[in-house]
Amino acid sequence: MFTFPELTLPVSIFLLLYGAYLLLFLFYSLFNIYHLIRYGLYGFGLYLIITVFAGGTILLVSGSIFLLMKYDWSQPIFVNGLIETYGNNLLPEGFVEF
Amino acid sequence: MFYLNQLPNQRENEKVVLFLRRHWFAVLIIIVAFISLTGLPILVGWFYLETIKDWISNPVIGLIFVISSSIYFLSIWLVTLIEFTDYYLDTWIITNERIINVEQEGLFHRTASELDLAAVQDATAEIRGILQTVFTFGNVFVQTAAEKGRFHFKNIDNPEHVKEIVTKLVEEDKKRVYSKT
Repeated sequence: MFTFPELTLPVSIFLLLYGAYLLLFLFYSLFNIYHLIRYGLYGFGLYLIITVFAGGTILLVSGSIFLLMKYDWSQPIFVNGLIETYGNNLLPEGFVEF
Repeated sequence: MFYLNQLPNQRENEKVVLFLRRHWFAVLIIIVAFISLTGLPILVGWFYLETIKDWISNPVIGLIFVISSSIYFLSIWLVTLIEFTDYYLDTWIITNERIINVEQEGLFHRTASELDLAAVQDATAEIRGILQTVFTFGNVFVQTAAEKGRFHFKNIDNPEHVKEIVTKLVEEDKKRVYSKT
């Protein structure tokens, strides 16, 4: 009988993907802020926008890091067993499986 | 950063008469979109709180859930800033001698143009639709003698008043120019 070889992935691969996204986010944010400072009209509103955006970003990123810190990043994911292990209990009660 | 009292290529005795941005309704749309896109998933999460807790406690599903939620909310936050920047940097400055139009279209496209008031032939105000009528905003088109010389003030507050001011300034500027020659 044909069997799939046991495939494992390190969980930290998600961290790399997240890091890549954060770099992209940083690039777009800084480029946007540069635009605002370079071409925006001088005034209180300009500083308010930049402060609110920076504050919101710090809150979102630090909240995410706080939640991500409690996970064990060294554990592997067993790809073959993933669906069997988690597939049945993913959806809340009341969802009908087809 | 630019200052209203230091315009690019400012002429002698040139004064800013009007500084225009799109109507606040444009900001309202951005805010409503932001609240809907962030509020709806939070509401669904609140409704299925127990399931979400189960997901988060799982060592693999939990971290995928946290990372994808983080990416989702950060993206909404960034798109909101980009949209707001687009609104904030779209400006029209009317002075006693010219009209300056600065338009930001997305992150990588910016247009700046100016028009001498003496070259203006015609100004038209347009209020179209229920929303524009109720909130008194709309468009003003400023036409020059040149075939493609048309300035478009998009979704500005009180377009009829702006049109009247432009027409008055054009007459004054033409008198001033002709009196010199």
